[in-house]
Amino acid sequence: MTAIAWPRLVGISRRSPTLAIGFLILLGFAAMAVLAPFIVPFDPVRAQPFNVLAAPGGAHPFGTDGNGMDVLSRVIAGAAWAFGIAIPAVVVGIVVGVPFGLYTGYRGGWFDEVAMRFFDALRVFPSIILALAVVAAAGPSLFNVVLVIGLLDSPVFARVVRAEVLALRHSGFVESARAAGNPTWRILFVHILPNAIQGAMAQAAVRAAWAVRISATLAFLGVGIQPPTPEWGAMIRQGAEYLVTGQWWVGVFPGIALILMVLGLNMLGDGLQDLLDPRRKAATR
Amino acid sequence: MPIGGLLLRRVALVVPLLFVILLGTFLLVRISGQDPVGLLAGPTATTAEIALVRESLALDQPAWVQFGVYIGRVARGDLGASWLSNRPVLAEILDRAPATLELIFWGVLIGAGIGIPVGLRAAFRPDRGFDQASRFLSLLGFSVPTYWLGLIMLFVFFYLLDWAPPGMGRISLMLDPPPRVTGSHLIDGLLGGDREVVGSAFAQLVLPVLCVAIISAAPIVKQTRAIALEVLATDYIRHARAQGLPPRQIRAMALRNSATPIVTFIGTEITGLVGTTSLIEYVFAWGGLGQYGLSAIIAGDFAAVQGYVLILALFSVLVFLAVDVFVMATDPRA
Repeated sequence: MTAIAWPRLVGISRRSPTLAIGFLILLGFAAMAVLAPFIVPFDPVRAQPFNVLAAPGGAHPFGTDGNGMDVLSRVIAGAAWAFGIAIPAVVVGIVVGVPFGLYTGYRGGWFDEVAMRFFDALRVFPSIILALAVVAAAGPSLFNVVLVIGLLDSPVFARVVRAEVLALRHSGFVESARAAGNPTWRILFVHILPNAIQGAMAQAAVRAAWAVRISATLAFLGVGIQPPTPEWGAMIRQGAEYLVTGQWWVGVFPGIALILMVLGLNMLGDGLQDLLDPRRKAATR
Repeated sequence: MPIGGLLLRRVALVVPLLFVILLGTFLLVRISGQDPVGLLAGPTATTAEIALVRESLALDQPAWVQFGVYIGRVARGDLGASWLSNRPVLAEILDRAPATLELIFWGVLIGAGIGIPVGLRAAFRPDRGFDQASRFLSLLGFSVPTYWLGLIMLFVFFYLLDWAPPGMGRISLMLDPPPRVTGSHLIDGLLGGDREVVGSAFAQLVLPVLCVAIISAAPIVKQTRAIALEVLATDYIRHARAQGLPPRQIRAMALRNSATPIVTFIGTEITGLVGTTSLIEYVFAWGGLGQYGLSAIIAGDFAAVQGYVLILALFSVLVFLAVDVFVMATDPRA
């Protein structure tokens, strides 16, 4: 198994270095998220009142923040929060969007028409503002943040899957499955879905990047997760006031972590799209 | 079909769109669970006034009747009163709109001025060093949190280098804003001929405009490259190549055929930028529409949030419409 998988992995990373680098960055953050309790040098929420705003160096390579908490430990602990929001949000988006896209693409007709017009209409709301406003309206609990981001993602997944379904609807294997008397749900989930899911997988990485950004933005504005929780957006919010007085490390390090994680997800998504879309690949040659 | 008929059909499509938008903003306040009577009457309303508003809103009626009442109110230009300032939301928004448009205008102008040539160059020589570098920088631009970029700009150019003024509004606190004509301090200052005001307004503009430019350039690079690559792969370009046309002429051909989709893309990008810019406004205390909307979201002032989201959506509708009209006017196939 591994003997076959290795050359393939090497081949993929040679064809798409973007994909490979993105994957490695994410692997790093995943390790940080899982191992955080064992590798943080300090408790990320332990305040040291006599060691406030210490510059980077010595026992605190990233310095300490306004409460005397170790910035490095907080940046490491933040990875778990980013994954903890992005993964469930994308799962919600897929669970709602994919079956909807399957059904509406297969059924076609007025239902499909209305659904697509509705999704088009949603595009007039700037996505960031819509997410912020709905989360603020629903109440900024962690559950609501995940739910709102996931629901706003679902049209993206529905659209991608629908496009695939339209191309497959009249293909031979679908026609024969129907002729054999399979019920609609079986045709959709057993016969069409495995052939239509690839595009959605590439989107999943891009949407996860968006989820990480939005949840950090909410926390930065003070609407989402509150300090002293080690969440990157909330940490940048704390750091904002110190930037103009020179204690840059409080806000800069969580910002770099946030950029790297979003960059990794975007590179993964970009690479997957290139790999999966033969037309796009032909165009890049 | 004559262009007039096409135009009319396109405008008619706006009506169902408006319906969905209003439904969205109507539901937004319902989700929030706040009492719409309070939102409309404002914080200083007396009991009698509140009773009057409750009746006029048809709150004893089913939800769809209330929705009808809401549509009627919006049609008359009544977006309710802000909880925080007790002023009409529409007036507050219109007051602040020029500051935001100013930021977006200069930002997109610079962003497109950098992004389009970079994207084209990358597409003409794909997979070379320049292409790789521009793709990476564009991905980086996609990944930088807007507000963090603004904070870093302030740290570097205000705190460290002292080249830029502090991020506190659109004009130095020592100066009086110029008499309002357009709402842009820079243009109003030029009209009034006050050098000091113009200088201060310009200095305040530089950093936030730079942020908008960076944020908008990233997708423009990516999209321009993709569009130009697609055009370069078409049959007529291959035909031109086979005929041995010089590369310069082929590039000119590709450019002409890429122009329309690129402009279309920038148009749609502007609608999203209105949201992103609000975060830049927030960091630089810009006092525009975006900062107003974000502050309302943070404070839970849902009359203002509702009006803000509605205005943004209407702005997007206008931009989409303008883009489509532009395409109709320039593309002979449409």
